[in-house]
Amino acid sequence: MIGIVAGVVSMLLASRTGDDELPVAIKLFMQVFSIVVTVAHLVAAYGVFRGIRRARTVSLITNYLLFVVAAAALLHQLGAFTAIGKFGTGLNKAFLPFLVIVVGLLWVLVAGQLRAKNPLAPGPNGLRKAGWGLAALAGVWFVIASDPSGMLSTIADRITQPVTIGTLLVAVGAALATRFMWQRRVAVHFGTTAAEEQTLSGLAFLSPNLIGFMFFFAGPLLFSLVVSFFEWKTTGTGRSFVGIDNYVRALSLDVSSADAANAGNEVLKPGYQVLMHMDWFGQNWVLGARDVEFWLSLRNITIFLVLAVPASVLPALVLSSILASRLPGMRVFRAIYFVPSVAGVIGVAIIWGQLFQSTVGWINYLILRTGEILPFVDPPAEGHPWLSSNSTALLSMVVVFAWMNFGFNTVLYLAGHQSIPKELYEAADIDGANVWQVFRKITVPQLRNTTFYVLITTSILALQLFDIVWILSTPEPGGPNNATTTPVLALYEEAFQGNDQGYASALAWVLFLIIFGFTFAQFRQQKDGATSGGVS
Amino acid sequence: MSVKRKGPKATAIRVLTYVVLVAVAAIVIFPFVVAVSTSFKRPTDIFTYPPSLVPKQDVTVPADQVGTDGDPVPVFTFPGRDDRPGEWALVDADAPLAEFRPLDDLERIIVLDAAAGERTGATITIDGEEEDVFLVDDGGTQVEAYRSRLTSGGLFVSVDDPDTSVLDLVNFATPSKEFGPRFENFSEVLAERDPETNGKGVGRSLTNTVLVTILVVLGQIITSILGGYAFARVQFRGRSTVFLMYLGSVMIPFVVLIIPLFQLMLQLNWRDNLVALIIPFTFTAYGTFLMRQFFLGIPAEIEEAALLDGASRSTILWKVMVPLARPAIATLATFGFLYAWNSFFWPLVIINSGNPDNAVLSLTLSTLGGRSSTDTNLVFAGAILAMTPPILVFLFAQRYFVENSASSGLK
Repeated sequence: MIGIVAGVVSMLLASRTGDDELPVAIKLFMQVFSIVVTVAHLVAAYGVFRGIRRARTVSLITNYLLFVVAAAALLHQLGAFTAIGKFGTGLNKAFLPFLVIVVGLLWVLVAGQLRAKNPLAPGPNGLRKAGWGLAALAGVWFVIASDPSGMLSTIADRITQPVTIGTLLVAVGAALATRFMWQRRVAVHFGTTAAEEQTLSGLAFLSPNLIGFMFFFAGPLLFSLVVSFFEWKTTGTGRSFVGIDNYVRALSLDVSSADAANAGNEVLKPGYQVLMHMDWFGQNWVLGARDVEFWLSLRNITIFLVLAVPASVLPALVLSSILASRLPGMRVFRAIYFVPSVAGVIGVAIIWGQLFQSTVGWINYLILRTGEILPFVDPPAEGHPWLSSNSTALLSMVVVFAWMNFGFNTVLYLAGHQSIPKELYEAADIDGANVWQVFRKITVPQLRNTTFYVLITTSILALQLFDIVWILSTPEPGGPNNATTTPVLALYEEAFQGNDQGYASALAWVLFLIIFGFTFAQFRQQKDGATSGGVS
Repeated sequence: MSVKRKGPKATAIRVLTYVVLVAVAAIVIFPFVVAVSTSFKRPTDIFTYPPSLVPKQDVTVPADQVGTDGDPVPVFTFPGRDDRPGEWALVDADAPLAEFRPLDDLERIIVLDAAAGERTGATITIDGEEEDVFLVDDGGTQVEAYRSRLTSGGLFVSVDDPDTSVLDLVNFATPSKEFGPRFENFSEVLAERDPETNGKGVGRSLTNTVLVTILVVLGQIITSILGGYAFARVQFRGRSTVFLMYLGSVMIPFVVLIIPLFQLMLQLNWRDNLVALIIPFTFTAYGTFLMRQFFLGIPAEIEEAALLDGASRSTILWKVMVPLARPAIATLATFGFLYAWNSFFWPLVIINSGNPDNAVLSLTLSTLGGRSSTDTNLVFAGAILAMTPPILVFLFAQRYFVENSASSGLK
């Protein structure tokens, strides 16, 4: 036992020196990890030597983590991760055999279902085998067609490097040690308790998930907070601690009185730009901000929220009340309404871009035709440029957003309808209440909690508006004249076009705090709802 | 709402109900109908007014029918010209011709052969220019006119009577259209990127998206089953703390993670590689909850019996629990599919070198269909290809989908 542990330690130390091609952060991580693992191993070795019960747990966890890290490093060195991307080429070359494989597997699935229904019939079993056969044949065809020789040669090339061999040995050693310590007789030897055994197996089951959670969620989250206090360029060395400067820069406003109605930046403090002009009590005021685009985006998203949230929630409330009536055909309508929310924002935005087209778009055409029929509709003489006009660009985004989301909200409401006691409707029926009274006095109050939930989730979604604007706004994202700039768009531009990731992280956290306000409100409501028993 | 009522008033309400439902359904479906129709249109058909839902093509007649040879000849009509009834084939779009304007009505244009008309010798001054006066044939009568322009136009031959022909400006004639979907839109948009053949390279992006989607869904299923089982069935120390952390993670909007994840991908050298779209998204707190909820609903006796028989926990999980959890797994797969297939923001951030071989469908389409978009018909063909799989998956998996989106609130 001690031999294995000591061997792993020495191999680890040997491999540590070789990794000098890695980027800074990963190298740092590897070094810290190596030291921690070494110390843990020494502790575990001491414990194992003394036969202390806890030593097995420590040794197991250490060896397992070492195995995971070493295996990941090995795969990294072999280029296995980037090879997944390269595999796209193979899949593209061999897409037809791939489709045949899919058909074969589906066949197996269907045959399996048939067999489950009628286990004694000989037919499905043969079909199932035929499906496997088809998939296997297509698999061979796939391998030939996808031409994996390039990938294989890369792997063969890399596997002979000493660093790779070292990592391989560490991985194998750690795996063997983990396997050894996991054995039941070792557990008995150390007198492991049932609770410890439970903890170990729980962590083992959770580990793939938990490691991913830590590495791709918790770690980055902390990192984001740290970066927001730095001036942090994407590339290059411009990285210095600036405290809360990023936040100050984002939120700074300055108000100044001005003589002229169109006074410029000169009346504001240095570094500030004009956000808007106001006329209060006969005096001209200039409101300025250091980051004008961000403040404009906050203004836009407020307007968007006020328009888009009711537009996607109110229809849902009304339609769900109709759909809940269980008249024939309701399932079909429910499915139709849901389709826009699953169709994918790109396709939807492309369609609406064409509908909003000023000269040949359907929207202008339909308004024109409506104007011919209904006297009170006054169509503009020329085709209205919905997306490139300052006044209607954001409104167009509202339309697309509401169109995409009302169906989803309808389904959320339908779930709420299920919890309304049927007796209420029966009583209303006996009392002779009309449809409007039933809706107003029973449905709406009973759905209060659902409404709140739907409002909050839709608001959170609306606050993160990006895709629709990115594709539809013209002549540049957020245009015209920043009329459709959103906070996420401002953040994206700062981080990936302006290269200022520290400042962009600060924007992200400001946005997060705004969103969190909504989340928190929902949390409070749920708590209240639980205590009051949901009776309204 | 009550459905038991009878009588004319209830019937009226019911009819009104359906009218509302159908109207909303029309608003939902109409843009998709426009999309399908546009995806089959010809490039020349996109910017015609008024907009039409029918993909059209030019009506043509075989060349030998109108006395020429070569490609089929497009057919035009002259609406409002009673003297030119029926259909006319444009046999020569570059025939030399002359525009004359009669002196008694200078707004009117008489189009004749370039050599037509006889000079009378007189002149007339138009806009300061001295012009010769011609005597020209105007539908049988001779009128005095001046020649305002020498140009080229169309030589039209009557389809019904190939011996009759007229000369006129092509834009005075209306091309005849008939229903004609253009299926090449789809093959062109899928074909390898190539300006010569008008290929748009969406095929490569499509297979990339398929690859990413499959791996994300598989990864999510595996990690969620393992994690969900641990949370549901294994009593370990720190379980509630970790679970709370998972719960809290749902509140964090993705925007906050974009920048650090981008930095992480830089460190791992995963930028501009499909793996950056796969590995970070194979862990889902939502999927873990889903599986946990489902496993909690499975009676503990089943598991205890197997444990007493000496089965290990992993055997129980894969042989007993997973087969029972098929509906939950189907739900998870559906959500994972839609998420991976439709995701746009993260690919936009991380696949940013402009190398089309690494792009996914949403990214390629946003580039193609963006502000400086050309080939609208091809873009729409691509959009249809992108939207069909998720819509089909939704329609087939509706049962799992509608029930669970209601209970989870995940978008």
